[in-house]
Amino acid sequence: MLAAKSLMVADAANKCAPGLPANFCHHHETTGCVAGNGLFCFGWAADNFDRYVGPFFRHFEIVAISVVAGFVIALALALYSHRHRALVPPLLGATGVLYTIPSVAFFFLLLPITGLGLWTAVIPLTAYTLQIIYRNALAGLSNVPADAKDAGRGMGMSERQLLRRVELPLATPEIVAGLRIAIVSTVAIATLAFLAGAGGLGDPLYAQPTFKTNIIMVGVLTIAMALILDLIVVLAQRFAMPWQRARSR
Amino acid sequence: MGHAEALSVAFQKATKVYPGADHPAVNELEVDVPAGEICVFVGPSGCGKTTAMRMVNRMVDITEGDILVGGTSVRERSPSDLRREIGYVIQQTGLFPHRTIAQNIATVPGLLGWDGDRVEARVRTLMQLISLDPDLADRYPAQLSGGQQQRVGVARALAADPGVMLMDEPFGAVDPINRERLQNEFLRLQAEVQKTILFVTHDIDEAIKMGDRVAILREGGILAQYATPAELLMAPADDFVEDFVGADRALKRLALLRVADIDLWKAPLAFVGQATAEVRAKLEGAEVPHALLVDSERRPLGWLSETDLQQELVPATPDISPEPVIDRDDVMRDALSDVLQHETMYAPVVDAEGRIAGVLSVEIISEFLGSKEALSEEHAAVERPTE
Repeated sequence: MLAAKSLMVADAANKCAPGLPANFCHHHETTGCVAGNGLFCFGWAADNFDRYVGPFFRHFEIVAISVVAGFVIALALALYSHRHRALVPPLLGATGVLYTIPSVAFFFLLLPITGLGLWTAVIPLTAYTLQIIYRNALAGLSNVPADAKDAGRGMGMSERQLLRRVELPLATPEIVAGLRIAIVSTVAIATLAFLAGAGGLGDPLYAQPTFKTNIIMVGVLTIAMALILDLIVVLAQRFAMPWQRARSR
Repeated sequence: MGHAEALSVAFQKATKVYPGADHPAVNELEVDVPAGEICVFVGPSGCGKTTAMRMVNRMVDITEGDILVGGTSVRERSPSDLRREIGYVIQQTGLFPHRTIAQNIATVPGLLGWDGDRVEARVRTLMQLISLDPDLADRYPAQLSGGQQQRVGVARALAADPGVMLMDEPFGAVDPINRERLQNEFLRLQAEVQKTILFVTHDIDEAIKMGDRVAILREGGILAQYATPAELLMAPADDFVEDFVGADRALKRLALLRVADIDLWKAPLAFVGQATAEVRAKLEGAEVPHALLVDSERRPLGWLSETDLQQELVPATPDISPEPVIDRDDVMRDALSDVLQHETMYAPVVDAEGRIAGVLSVEIISEFLGSKEALSEEHAAVERPTE
């Protein structure tokens, strides 16, 4: 109640729309769209775009580190447990448990250990990708046609050669499918990284959670990042796997 | 084109017992395959024929006994080295879907570390050998027909010029018409490359057609009989073999024979314009009680009917068509089928120039099947198509 009262006072002093903090009115437009908290204020968005650039690249940094780390760990686990099948159930269980921890709780659990900052966000986000990528990679490796493996071994490939020349290439579509899900979901969850003090697009979002233009800006940028990253992966996959196109012809 | 020497394969009481199994999958198998021959393993499912074949390249490890390839025990070889020296063809082709046809064929040369030029030349040669359009080299397996894929599988197995080839139901997944063609093509190819081939099938007809020798296995991996196809058909070792070969084994025997292999009957020949009285005289006591009209080159024109013979001179157009006219080189089974289909008793047999060589009758065939002569090796050895 007290906080609301002081906010109102500040608003009045800045001739800013009620309910909006003073720093929102530091550019030209103090009335009209912004004052009325319209659906999307183009003028304001254009003028204030710079306030999103930093968080956008920070967001990308968080996503990139988490997905790359998760991909490396999950793929290594998948390759190892593919040859040691007894490890599959415990690994599926462990990554599954990690996946079910609520992200906010995960951040707060880590805070006393890693403190506010990038790593407190990256560790849970990495942990979330494990289940997705591991499960897909494992399925991809298991779905490699038995006859292709039999032929490879029968022609004298060692287990390592078989993995590199036959199993991995043939499992790639499913591995990539897992990677894509991991990327998109990490881009989304990373909007909570500000709770861990890591920044990202969550910062501007939660700074003014009632200002519609702000919410839409963050939303659009988040979706754009997810789509662009997804597109890059899809194009890379197409380029790397010409045989897939050949098959669908 | 030069080929590496084919190697003999000798199973010496080779036995496989899978862990936890009560009975061996392959039980003291003794089979000697001479270099350059096709040996077919055939039997009902669960007879261990595939297991026996896979023991040769150690895809299945031998529990007891041994297998010698070119006189050397496979147990003394590293599995990878051994496998690279033995061609391997499987039913579902096992082609790598992510590699082009040329890359697939080049698999073993690649593993052996051949240089690029040599691999490329070898791939070209092999694609020619299996008569595959060179333009297909850069396609992926999914873009080829089933028959083409199967041929690529064979080419891939031949790539490093192995002394021995293992083929597990290689034509099993192909439709019957294409299978027949692939089989014939393969026999022609084998006439050229002369590999030692271990061929697994569940189809006794395929075994008889493809095999120089056939090993029939029964459940429990026990060898029931190892013999040439002819011996198998004429002297099955026991009831199991007799059953497996089938109630129609007499007919199958006909698949091993060519018309030229048996003694044909002679029909009285008649020429256009000849006096019918002369022809009637020839008919007395003839093997075939009908006169066959032939032209001046002795090519059959038709059979003379009673009405034809009522006339003064032999007419130019006989009442009865000569069909079916059978080629001397036809397989007996096909010839019999022709005769039965035309519902005739007799069929003229002609040589390559179309001149009459004799007459085939249903009677000759049934007599032949019952005769001792049919049991002799000489008649059973059918020339394989070599062109």
